[in-house]
Amino acid sequence: MFYHKKFLRKKPLVFSALVLLTGVSVIVYYFTLKFEDSASLKPDYNVDVTPFISEFSENQIASNKKYTEKIIALTGRISTLEQADTTVNVKFVDSLTGSYLICAFQQQHVGETSALQTGDSVTIKGSCSGGIYSNILETNAIFFKRCMLEKKY
Amino acid sequence: MKHLFFTSLFVLFTFFSFSQKKTTTSATINFDATTSIDKLPKAENKTVVAAIHTKKGTVQFEATIKNFTFSNPRIQEHFNSKGWMSSDEFPTAVFNGTITNISAINFRKNGTYTAQVEGDLTIHGKTQKIKTVATFVISEDEINSSCDFGIQLADYGIDSPAVGAGKVARDPKISVKATFDN
Repeated sequence: MFYHKKFLRKKPLVFSALVLLTGVSVIVYYFTLKFEDSASLKPDYNVDVTPFISEFSENQIASNKKYTEKIIALTGRISTLEQADTTVNVKFVDSLTGSYLICAFQQQHVGETSALQTGDSVTIKGSCSGGIYSNILETNAIFFKRCMLEKKY
Repeated sequence: MKHLFFTSLFVLFTFFSFSQKKTTTSATINFDATTSIDKLPKAENKTVVAAIHTKKGTVQFEATIKNFTFSNPRIQEHFNSKGWMSSDEFPTAVFNGTITNISAINFRKNGTYTAQVEGDLTIHGKTQKIKTVATFVISEDEINSSCDFGIQLADYGIDSPAVGAGKVARDPKISVKATFDN
């Protein structure tokens, strides 16, 4: 009986401590949340670059809906390696239309581009940011972020 | 013979005019909206399309909003969401401008040049005039350009509770870098 009364007196204190603990945990979780390493992610789609670019060119709205923010493994032959400040982007160009797909690498995978050359056949995995029609280049462009080199053939 | 001469002249003129327009698909934009209480609203886009016309002095940038990468997935989600950049509705940020002192920059002579740039910046479907200073470092092979400027989110119709709560800066800093083949 005595212990029960003591507990009831402390109940608001215990409740407040629990709320505080939950709040702090949520804040810590929120602030420390990071994107997973793309290497550990299973791709939603495995595609060849050229037909993938064609699919976007034929119907950009439907392709954006289908692929944006999906993890995609792309297989194709590198057209260009382009300097992007201190890193290198991998670019695939459809030589018939000039449409292109460009991959920016995830921080921990940036070094993998040093082993690559124009003409290499590769599989690159990353998150698709969708495609646009570039008014500057007057062509279709598809963007990928957080990429990593899965395989070099 | 006369036809061949004029055709050659036309081809040469076209080639020369075209070669004065330099483009890249790997310009970078850094977006920094960090505050003293939140260091997370910071992003980078490394696949920005950029063009410069060394004769006319025109400068253009086109950045896909969804290709801005944040370290934190939740912040990236907020950045693209409807109250913020509304990237489904406004997929790109675009700058169309001119170097007003183009005669002071010699793209054929190595050196560091200061350019006065003016133009229209469109973000979130709203266009505002921007005036900034850019630096051009010119070498035989490359033209390296960079500039920093600030924007007011309110000017572009961007307002969210996070801005009011001081978690996102009202005046983010934008840094642009582009390397063109010379």
